Amino acid sequence: MEPLQAVEQWDLVRQLKTSFVAYPVVNAVHIAAIGALLTSVALLDLRILGAFGSLPERPFVMLLRRLALMAFCLAVLSGLALFSVRASYYAGMPVFLGKMGLIALAGATFALFAAIESDKQRRWSSLRRPLAVMSVVIWCTVLLCGRFIGFL
Amino acid sequence: MEVLPKSISLAATLAVAALFALPALAHHGWSWTQDGFFELKGVIADIYIGNPHATLDVDVEGELWRVELAPPARTIAAGFTDEVAKKGDEVVAIGNRSRDETEKRMKAVRIIINGKTYDVYADRVPPS
Repeated sequence: MEPLQAVEQWDLVRQLKTSFVAYPVVNAVHIAAIGALLTSVALLDLRILGAFGSLPERPFVMLLRRLALMAFCLAVLSGLALFSVRASYYAGMPVFLGKMGLIALAGATFALFAAIESDKQRRWSSLRRPLAVMSVVIWCTVLLCGRFIGFL
Repeated sequence: MEVLPKSISLAATLAVAALFALPALAHHGWSWTQDGFFELKGVIADIYIGNPHATLDVDVEGELWRVELAPPARTIAAGFTDEVAKKGDEVVAIGNRSRDETEKRMKAVRIIINGKTYDVYADRVPPS
């Protein structure tokens, strides 16, 4: 907890903590990033589940995967800034820890999916659909956990 | 398969709608508070003056109350900062308590600490 308390004392963090404009702006960036991330993840997962079959798969997946990664990076950066103002407090919240655990799980799902895709013999392709469902459920739960951090 | 079966689309749409239709939670506005004024007297158990919400936790004879203040910039502009109050200080909070009386939560318009008055919602304080 002590390193986190030190972060709370950084000049820039202290300014963000009491700012009238900067904090809501960072907050808005976080929301925008989450919106882009959830939308692209949902579209990717729906594609795997059989929707948008008329669109060519490869460019569709490439575009949305890139968007999802960029949105995730932006969400992490803005999230770190939001976290910093009360780092030691948030770090002890079960709902925050749950959110971080779920993000790690989503990352594992993505890695597993990438591994399945790279298998030339397509041995595990029956797992694609359950993984897609898992991914969408996990990200929606991450969203909800994040929302509740502000209210507990 | 060209499109999702209708039942799946419908279920997904309903699930997403349910996410955003969660009952409005506390904090913002005054709709969740009672109309009449409420006074709370106790000892500060915790204080946080900053984004996203400025709050006091007040120990009232062993019961912990959550006192919500104005947005941080407004609370600080009213003179109520980390410097003027600390854990263990006696505090009087005047404002509006939650309509749900099982919830130990209120929104303060005026805070009195060490004989000093801070009107965090100067336009809502009780007429003197």
